[in-house]
Amino acid sequence: MNFQQIELANGLTIIGEHNPQAKSLALGYFVRSGARDELEGESGVSHFLEHMLFKGSDNIGALEINREFDDIGAKSNAFTSEEVTCYYGAVLPEQQARLTGLLSQMMRPALRQSDFDTEKGVILEEIQMYQDQPDIVLYDALRPLYYGHHPSGQSILGTLESIIALTREQMLDYYRRRYAPNNLILAVAGAYDWQALLEQVTLLTKDWQPAEIGRLYPNHQPRQVNEAHFAEQFHQAYIGMMAPGVAIQDPRRYGADILAEIIGDDENSRLYWALVDTGLAETASLGHSPEDQSGHYSATLVCDSEQAELVLAKAQAVLQSVQADGVTAAELSRFQRKLAVSTVLRGETPYGRLFPFALDYLDNREYVSLETTVERIMAVTLQDLNDLLALRPFDTMTVLSLRPSSALL
Amino acid sequence: MIYSHHFPNGLVLVAEAQPWQAGVSFEFLVPAGAAFEPLPGAATVLDSWCQRGAGEYDSQALQNAFDSLGLQRDNGAGVQYQNFSGALLAGDLPAALALYGDLLLRPHLDEAELEPCIELAHQDLDGLEDAPADKLFVALRAGFYQSRHGVSALGSHQGLAELTPELLRHDHAARVVPGGTLLALAGRFDWPALLAQVEQHFGDWQGQGQLLGAPVTRQGFYQHISDESAQVQIGLMYPAPAPTSRDWYPYSLAMTALSGGFASRLMTEVREKRGLVYSVSASPAPVRGGGALQVYAGTAPERAQQTLDVLAAEFDRLSLGLEAGELERARVGLMTSLVMSQESTSARARGLLRDWQLFERFRSLDEVKQGLEQVTLGEVNDFLARYHFRDPAIMTLGPVELDATAFGIAKGAAA
Repeated sequence: MNFQQIELANGLTIIGEHNPQAKSLALGYFVRSGARDELEGESGVSHFLEHMLFKGSDNIGALEINREFDDIGAKSNAFTSEEVTCYYGAVLPEQQARLTGLLSQMMRPALRQSDFDTEKGVILEEIQMYQDQPDIVLYDALRPLYYGHHPSGQSILGTLESIIALTREQMLDYYRRRYAPNNLILAVAGAYDWQALLEQVTLLTKDWQPAEIGRLYPNHQPRQVNEAHFAEQFHQAYIGMMAPGVAIQDPRRYGADILAEIIGDDENSRLYWALVDTGLAETASLGHSPEDQSGHYSATLVCDSEQAELVLAKAQAVLQSVQADGVTAAELSRFQRKLAVSTVLRGETPYGRLFPFALDYLDNREYVSLETTVERIMAVTLQDLNDLLALRPFDTMTVLSLRPSSALL
Repeated sequence: MIYSHHFPNGLVLVAEAQPWQAGVSFEFLVPAGAAFEPLPGAATVLDSWCQRGAGEYDSQALQNAFDSLGLQRDNGAGVQYQNFSGALLAGDLPAALALYGDLLLRPHLDEAELEPCIELAHQDLDGLEDAPADKLFVALRAGFYQSRHGVSALGSHQGLAELTPELLRHDHAARVVPGGTLLALAGRFDWPALLAQVEQHFGDWQGQGQLLGAPVTRQGFYQHISDESAQVQIGLMYPAPAPTSRDWYPYSLAMTALSGGFASRLMTEVREKRGLVYSVSASPAPVRGGGALQVYAGTAPERAQQTLDVLAAEFDRLSLGLEAGELERARVGLMTSLVMSQESTSARARGLLRDWQLFERFRSLDEVKQGLEQVTLGEVNDFLARYHFRDPAIMTLGPVELDATAFGIAKGAAA
């Protein structure tokens, strides 16, 4: 594997991880913008805009875009998170130029009013689809409860009301603020031709103008919160917990990832043995999400509603006991290995490599190879985990329960 | 290069070499799914009970042993099979096979561990109430198949309540057997050594499993399940060509044109032009000896009727055939997936499994490529004109009931 990087005159950074043995390449534009960068009255615009990029530029319409993706056999999609919006595809090497051309054109959308109106219907459908999915409803309510007024608590989807009220002009304004070339990365992995890519992208983006781009990082003071909401439409209890973790810029994040697995992986963790093995909860898991300048642990418990108090109490006891007594060397070494192997296996394909290496670079301006990732995972010590636990992350937790019956609240 | 071996006890081993990979992916399919289970839910409970201690390991020691190998794993019960899949670094494969030997042949099936397994199965079944699309398809498959292909591995509360240790131990002895079991594997391995390891750990295993015959289906009806969900879930099932039929490649290409890509007909007509849905799809769901096409759309109550009517119009239009560009896009999409699957150990292991389930043999990538390349537009359009997708089984779930007359079906009617 060979890392390549260049910054064009307009501020667009192109990074590549070349693998001549690959049979394909994966390529994507990563915009350093998401729900947390939305202003008041713009809730949901990042995600709606992501849909609108597929509607075309001044030179190409939605149906032509869709046809071009299919003509080149691209495996493509896009996603929006709190911090990043990404447009990507994987193709065979002979289609590099067409995929690059297509994605680059999409980055300069026409945002036609008629497309905006039709797509609004699709967004409203997507929001309603998620209203039927309890894990999403839970997470959407938990995040703002934990982050309060901090922008990291802002919803990706927005609400039916915010989307209905959103105008094309507001979207255009957001787009101009956030989609300047100096806020984008073009990342490519696999069997690509670097020189051809540079020449093509330089030409295609020559009119793109850099802009001054910021992001707010207000202080966030996690609070102890415990709320229960009545969710009549669901049949089981869904409980979420959030606690402070470490940021993507923080080298301790590898340790925090392993710690979260020890406590809450699906099949052999502290929470599993306390709650799932005993048949008390169908799901009891904990994960760690390192984000830009902040991070959090989040836990999910799913159980029979009548068991909710017991399950929550037992889960909290597990977290407190880990905090008080630490973890063992055997646990560390098992999960280190598991995480390292999963990293290696995910790296088999260019598509699997694109996201870890591009997302690392986006926030850290650092290339982390697969080998370096594995080394960092294996270098974590028991002392590192104990230091993370000494911060007592689980003392200030936000807990939210969704319960199907108000009688149980 | 694909290697395969049939052991005398009925176990089939198939392995595709990808010597450049660091890892290996594998999956066991054991013919102990829900189709022939003694009580509804037995297969799911047995599957999780087997995980709770085997050979010299108690429940926790077994999971520790798996994790010490860095094994990424999954298991579950389906209609025909219980499946056990794993992926890890190539050097650890022999140790993993030894552990799976314990898991499949020597599970403790300790009575004290059974109750939590049953309790979790009850909760899984309750969870279906909170997953409207899954709930719809459990009901639709049960209505569409008159044969056992329509059973749900989630079982029933009553079935789960009646399970006993004796019944499940007997079921394990009768159905977790090598006859009808496949071990498929892809990645880096040494074939002679692999053969010897599989022989060592599974050679003494005995017994013959039962496999489903060709499916029997029922179609031409519409049923509605009332539910207070935000969206209306729409599901359709059509009988479709069997994998071994001469129509298989034309059918696969036609369905990719219908629903496989961004520019496919359903995406274009239902989502792009009309903004009726976020999700719409038509997916082939073949079984051995038979085909089925599963169609799904999720939409708000006020758009649901129009969505159903547009689906009807698209299935009518299908019989008029594809345009040349549509066929070529479908072909490029499938060919690209085929090439990309060679980069991934898990994709190739799944490809081998699927071939065995559907074709009872293993197709090389070249054979599949040739199959796709040779199909002409005339052949696809001849198939669509002749086959004519009509009279589906239709079910909806949600706050409003729909009118299926666009499909020529009155409510509750059954052909």
